[in-house]
Amino acid sequence: MRLLEKLRSAWRTLNAPSRHFSLIFLTLGGFIAGLIFWGAFNTVLEATNTEVFCTSCHEMEDNVFAELKRTIHYSNRSGVRATCPDCHVPHQWTNKIARKMEASKEVWGKVFGTINTREKFLDKRRDMAEHEWARLKANDSLECRNCHNYNAMDITRQSPRAAVIHERNLLNGNKTCIDCHKGIAYQLPDMAGVPQG
Amino acid sequence: MKPITVVAFIAVLVVGVLLGRSCSPQQPAAQVASVGSIAPPPRLQLKPSLDAMRRDADLLAEPVALPLARVQNTDVRRARNYPMQPPTIPHAIDGYQVDQNANRCMLCHSQSNAARFQAPPVSVTHYMDRDGQILAEISPRRYFCEQCHVVQTDAVPLVANTFVGADDILTSTPASGKKE
Amino acid sequence: MTHTRREFIRNSAAATAAAVAGIPLFAGASNIITDRSETALKWSKAPCRFCGTGCGINVAVKDGRVVATHGDIHNEVNRGLNCVKGYFLSKIMYGADRLTQPLLRKTNGQYDKRGEFTPVSWDEAFDVMTAQFKRVLKDKGPTAIGMFGSGQWTVWEGYAANKLFKAGFRSNNIDPNARHCMASAVMGFMRTFGMDEPMGCYDDLEAADVFVLWGSNMAEMHPILWTRLTDRKLSNPGVKVAVLSTFEHRSFELADIPIVFTPQTDLVILNFIANHIIQSGAVNRKFVDAHTTFKLGVTDIGYGLRPDNPLEVNAKDAANPNQGSPIDFDQFAAFVRPYTLDYAAKMSGADKGWLQKLAELYANPKLKVTSFWTMGFNQHTRGVWANNMVYNIHLLTGKISTPGNSPFSLTGQPSACGTAREVGTFSHRLPADMVVTNPAHRARAEQIWKVPSGTIVEKPGLHAVAQNRALKDGKLNAYWIQVTNNIQAAANSDQEAIPGYRNPDNFIVVSDAYPTVTAMAADLILPTAMWVEKEGAYGNAERRTQFWHELVKAPGESKSDLWQLMEFSKRFTTDEVWPAELLAANSGYRGKTLYEVLFKNGKVDRFPVSQIEAGYDNHESSAFGFYVQKGLFEEYAEFGRGHAHDLADFDTYHQTRGLRWPVVDGKETRWRYHGGTDPYVKAGKEFDFYGNPDGKAVIWALPYQPPAEVPDDEYDMWLSTGRVLEHWHSGSMTMRVPELYSAVPQAVIFMHPDDARARELRRGQEARVVSRRGEVRARVETRGRNRPPRGLIFVPWFDASILINKVTLDATDPISKQTDYKKCAVKVVKV
Repeated sequence: MRLLEKLRSAWRTLNAPSRHFSLIFLTLGGFIAGLIFWGAFNTVLEATNTEVFCTSCHEMEDNVFAELKRTIHYSNRSGVRATCPDCHVPHQWTNKIARKMEASKEVWGKVFGTINTREKFLDKRRDMAEHEWARLKANDSLECRNCHNYNAMDITRQSPRAAVIHERNLLNGNKTCIDCHKGIAYQLPDMAGVPQG
Repeated sequence: MKPITVVAFIAVLVVGVLLGRSCSPQQPAAQVASVGSIAPPPRLQLKPSLDAMRRDADLLAEPVALPLARVQNTDVRRARNYPMQPPTIPHAIDGYQVDQNANRCMLCHSQSNAARFQAPPVSVTHYMDRDGQILAEISPRRYFCEQCHVVQTDAVPLVANTFVGADDILTSTPASGKKE
Repeated sequence: MTHTRREFIRNSAAATAAAVAGIPLFAGASNIITDRSETALKWSKAPCRFCGTGCGINVAVKDGRVVATHGDIHNEVNRGLNCVKGYFLSKIMYGADRLTQPLLRKTNGQYDKRGEFTPVSWDEAFDVMTAQFKRVLKDKGPTAIGMFGSGQWTVWEGYAANKLFKAGFRSNNIDPNARHCMASAVMGFMRTFGMDEPMGCYDDLEAADVFVLWGSNMAEMHPILWTRLTDRKLSNPGVKVAVLSTFEHRSFELADIPIVFTPQTDLVILNFIANHIIQSGAVNRKFVDAHTTFKLGVTDIGYGLRPDNPLEVNAKDAANPNQGSPIDFDQFAAFVRPYTLDYAAKMSGADKGWLQKLAELYANPKLKVTSFWTMGFNQHTRGVWANNMVYNIHLLTGKISTPGNSPFSLTGQPSACGTAREVGTFSHRLPADMVVTNPAHRARAEQIWKVPSGTIVEKPGLHAVAQNRALKDGKLNAYWIQVTNNIQAAANSDQEAIPGYRNPDNFIVVSDAYPTVTAMAADLILPTAMWVEKEGAYGNAERRTQFWHELVKAPGESKSDLWQLMEFSKRFTTDEVWPAELLAANSGYRGKTLYEVLFKNGKVDRFPVSQIEAGYDNHESSAFGFYVQKGLFEEYAEFGRGHAHDLADFDTYHQTRGLRWPVVDGKETRWRYHGGTDPYVKAGKEFDFYGNPDGKAVIWALPYQPPAEVPDDEYDMWLSTGRVLEHWHSGSMTMRVPELYSAVPQAVIFMHPDDARARELRRGQEARVVSRRGEVRARVETRGRNRPPRGLIFVPWFDASILINKVTLDATDPISKQTDYKKCAVKVVKV
């Protein structure tokens, strides 16, 4: 009985708080609570945006992350690295949230073991690669351009053939990065029928 | 404000600060325990170091390892020692995937793509199967380019090679009079 | 030696710089020369100098020099292709530091083991060498002299050496470096089939539906065979390739089933597949019942270490590791039953799905399967078992001796088959698969060699690892090494080989073309002719014997190994080296030099020099006055003809691009033991494993056993060693070719990036690779062609400045005595 009374009391407060609390308390409190919630939300969101989080699934750690370690995006002359979200999560907020919602598919995959062995991963590699290529093609390799700004490229410091090809194809917008640089971070799947370059 | 509100506020601040701190970069990896080294055995005094590959190091000593050589990436073609020699690769090939899924070399060097990328096309011999028939695409027996074509680094050979090619023999003999 | 290394470099600085820049020395030709008399090149055929694939080469000679080579389009093996090493064959003889004069350690004009190398004449070299050998023979007898030869000897060089030691000096202490590469394969063959060498041939590459590579990196080590496999697979998308190794390498580029397994657990996977075949009802009962028997092998055989090692002390079968007792099929099935999929996956760390798929490929009766293996199986403390177990799988399914169904043991060296194995240059062997322990075999050899009965000694001599131990212990005191670089190649060199060579009681002679680290450790160095500087013959992995003529002169005073062996034999008489009883019973042999007994015996010297093909020199035959190679070959061929090792006659081989033995009535044999393709299988029989008296192959029940040394808390990583594509073996030839050197100038530690990070190492940093036995310094490579899993490193052995065999363990397979170069425990530490 006492419990029921306590619950009823709590409900009355929640239903009509201004009867119990002052306006300033409610607004300020609400504001601060909102701030805390927002901070927590974003902290958690950003925590899911780290390499550590992404590679906490063995599917990622043993497959794509292992392959990445041999590439230039992992270790290079200048030590500037790309981590998972730099390429795979849009920086812009609304697109980022959209991508996070799509990530429920990945949770599903983890729960049901869609690629939980190397063999399954290799079989599905082409599908997954095609999604990423399509995404980057659609947004004109936006994630690449987050770091590699074509206007800031000093092509005289590139190898001669890279300089020629970039100038001929990127300058006039004929091609976007992903057209030629597939496989820049991971091994390529079966490329039969995939146009390159 | 009610005291509880103030306390709650401060508590949130404290918690927030603590959480923030733990997001800072990870601690460096644990120090590897120092390991004792094997006492070096006495020198053998084998002089001189006959094998140039050892760079004058005693047989029982461990020479300092040369720095990793760097691959030449100049795109400048090199002369061949004789016409049938597969040319060496004048550029770096890091990360160029050549396996059953993809052949990165052929992206630029197949006869159909060579014009687009201005890369030397593979010779027609690469389109011949093992019976000498010409195929529409590069013959799989030539698929793995790196079995015949290698990059060159900036490492300077430790021993010279006195090979003389046919060209050099031809041009070093005096202009022909009739041979007896 | 009057030049320092620096002078060599300085003198050839222009050549070096030019070679590096790729600019021909004489760049200023005026116009193209078209006069045929000047542009004509003399082209001759030869097999490649390098690996056991045995590609055909055409060699162009002009003005007494080799100026170009070409893949021979008419050779069945390669049809015009070479690998990068083969394409630079024209440079291998022209390293600037080529040995041209014998070098003897001297102080004050006298031989002194601690002295400096001084050029001497051949006469003086042989004088001192003879005196040393005679001293040792007199003091200790033939068990104290020895020879270490090579699977890169030509057929007749190996034959001459075998005769000289076994029949001349009566010492069985002659062993080849093929002991390090093929001995386990040999014993595998002998235990299963009673006869050596593969039953299939390279034609299986165009016929198989499935290829399985067991610890073999064909892409780099048998490149032209890989091109044939690639051709087969990529042209026919249904063909499947499985690759199994302890680390990922270039052969994985074609793998549909890529399996990286924990070292030594290949034994588990093999038994699992046998178990799967039995459990899934895929056994070809008709074949098994008609053509196989079963044996249970003894297992407590130790690890070939020194007898006082704890692992050896209690190994009760160590003295007789080759034993087995007969069992039946049901007992064998029960034996492999514990090797389930779960067990295999747990032990090996391999993906279950792939293990299952692999087993199913073997089991499926409609698929033709070819298994390839080389050093992963052979350089293994249970290498013989691994060989037997892969034959088990092929025998249980009957997938053998028909096109595409082929358990194919690949050979490493160009003539480990043709010379070391077929000629029998092992410490326990005689030609044509015969052994010294068998009185009938000894009698036959003595009869063919025309030496008295009782000349050949019964007790097997010292094998490779035992030779090094005996040198160190002072039991082997006069030692001759030819065509091999064993200070670089032998395991545990700091503890055994190097102290052995420098033991003051020992006299070491090294015949080589280049100053190697083995030459450095020797007392007398003999300059040796290479490859096309002498007439030669090699036998490759598919039993194809290939000949070549002498095309150019060897530089300076260098001479072929054959010439050296025959000249040396002139310095000894039977009175000096044969026991009195033997001479008393055979007084006709008294007072003869070994040269007269072994080489001027009416058989070896019966062909005149006029039979040498016109237009070709032959320095040995000129020196001795008869066609040496032909005489030796025809005498040698007597061993095999009519005994399923038939070789064609000598002249035929000079005309053809090789023939696969047995060659009967001019026809080569492609698939042995099968009716219709093997002339030795009696009419009406489908299969006949005639190497065994009952005509049946043996299926051996053998278990998994752990390696001799595994990683522990201190030495926490596996070390595997091997080769790379660009360099052959110890690099003595290829490191002197500028393009090959430049491509891969140094050995590196291939390592997983996380392992490097954990040890505070990064790519390019120097690290020490340390074991209980020694250490080396090398740079770390985390992004190379080899991608080891965590906990394993791979270091190639071609680099004389990174002698990785100081670190390795000289544990062997106790049956084959072959060293396990793929497994020992090391730690990698920052310098």
